[in-house]
Amino acid sequence: MSASIPSSPATRRGAAPRPSAPSRLRYTLTQLGVLALVIVCLVLVDANWARLLEAPALSLNYGGLMVQGVVQNPFSEPYSQYWMDAILLMLESLQIAWIGTVIGALFSFPIGFLAASNVSPRGVVIATRQILNIIRAVPELVLAIAIMLPIFGLGPLAGALAIGVGSIGTLGKLTSEAIEAVPTGPGEATRSSGARTLQTLRWAVTPQILPEVIAFWLYRFEINIRASAILGILGAGGVGSLLAQVFERRDWERIGITLTVIIVVTVIVDQISGAVRHRVISGVPVTGAKAIV
Amino acid sequence: MTTTSAARATAARPARPRPRPGTYIAILAVLAITVWAGLGIEFDLTPLWTDLGRGWFIIQEFLAPNWSYIERTIGPFIETLSIAVLATLAGCVIGLGMSLLASRVTTSNPVLYRAAKLFLSVVRSLPDVGYGLLFFALVGAGSLAGILALIMFNIGIIAKLTSETIDAVDRGPLEAADAAGASSLQRARFAVVPMILPNYLSYCLYVFELNIRASVVIGIVGGGGIGSSISVEFARFNYANVSAIVVLLIVVVFLIDLLSQSLRRRLT
Repeated sequence: MSASIPSSPATRRGAAPRPSAPSRLRYTLTQLGVLALVIVCLVLVDANWARLLEAPALSLNYGGLMVQGVVQNPFSEPYSQYWMDAILLMLESLQIAWIGTVIGALFSFPIGFLAASNVSPRGVVIATRQILNIIRAVPELVLAIAIMLPIFGLGPLAGALAIGVGSIGTLGKLTSEAIEAVPTGPGEATRSSGARTLQTLRWAVTPQILPEVIAFWLYRFEINIRASAILGILGAGGVGSLLAQVFERRDWERIGITLTVIIVVTVIVDQISGAVRHRVISGVPVTGAKAIV
Repeated sequence: MTTTSAARATAARPARPRPRPGTYIAILAVLAITVWAGLGIEFDLTPLWTDLGRGWFIIQEFLAPNWSYIERTIGPFIETLSIAVLATLAGCVIGLGMSLLASRVTTSNPVLYRAAKLFLSVVRSLPDVGYGLLFFALVGAGSLAGILALIMFNIGIIAKLTSETIDAVDRGPLEAADAAGASSLQRARFAVVPMILPNYLSYCLYVFELNIRASVVIGIVGGGGIGSSISVEFARFNYANVSAIVVLLIVVVFLIDLLSQSLRRRLT
């Protein structure tokens, strides 16, 4: 583009010269670096690329079978049984996710205060943050197989506890960040009217962070629904165990039904949770305000 | 302060606002769901002290990792990293295209926009393991299944985050591009993409962090890499070996997070 400047500098001596294009050296180097990385990875990875060619035909075939399972009359045997199994186990997954979120919320709330540098002493903050960092570094899956499954045995309870402990890590961090971002005005007001530390936290800090923290809890619940499906594959209850079973038997009709249940329930719960989050964060809608006043 | 009665009348303590009935209903609903869920999964903490002995020998093995096993896991770890790099790259490129379709700013056709949104919400609703099982069944065990599953997982996340960034973009450059007669593709390329690029690249690095963790899970269901090693050792009850892999995994995840966070801080 820069080659097509019509006027030479001599004829337009008075005018400011066109600025030269910024150097693209770094950009080019980054591109080359990424390209090199991809080539290295393609060489290292031991993938059977030839199977990619067969995949479209196979997926059409299997997809057809899955759709066949879904469109069968859901009230006829044995399909009613398949649907009921999937729905009940999906409900169990929701229960696991919910209990996990409740555990995470109950513990992370006080821990968040301990980890916030504007309300806790320095030593406590550093210690609490380290604990939260360690919890977040361990994947939930590892928590489940290393600690929960041996003690609590195979079942939904182990999954719920693993998810709960995992949630404490992220929720604690997010809560402490919300507390640190709180405006100082209300705190000063309560202190000047003679409130003690605990009263300041209750009446000045908590009301300011509560909407945000509730939104974090709901968001975490949405994540935990997906996590509980993963743990199910290891035998921690829920729809994940059913999914692993039907995939093992290559029972495509049931796979189709189970996936449909998972997708539909997840989308519905996400929508509800999203609406509640929106309502909590942005308050009562303007149209509804009249009725309350 | 002399006219005490008048002062008291003007500065009367405001009435405490009545709690709204909605608050009570919400609290009751939360309690009811918690009780229902707790009963459903048979919530019970007594195994913590009655059955601690049963799990204790496993936990003991976990506390004594078999360090000599680590050198045999280097190959699978490199495999996992390669899977994550390739899946991140492919997922991010496709995700950028999908996010341009799923934002009102870049897609004026309402049907196309709605369809893209619906597609993305379906893609996101399946957990990563679901994709792992699906592609394991389609292309067999191995890295290819892992790569394909992670690509789907990445498209969902990248497209959601990026399309929300596009929604919030500054309208000035868009109007300039429109005024200069840009087609919608040119508008996206020269007005939208430069504005979202720092955020988008930061999301890509974030997804890469997630992919290391997710590829472990997908490996367990047959997607290759370190996850396969974990599931093999787990099935053989070699908890000391599993523990060694896990320790190394935590270190790798931590290093990648550090690297990616320092890159992200420079981007934004």
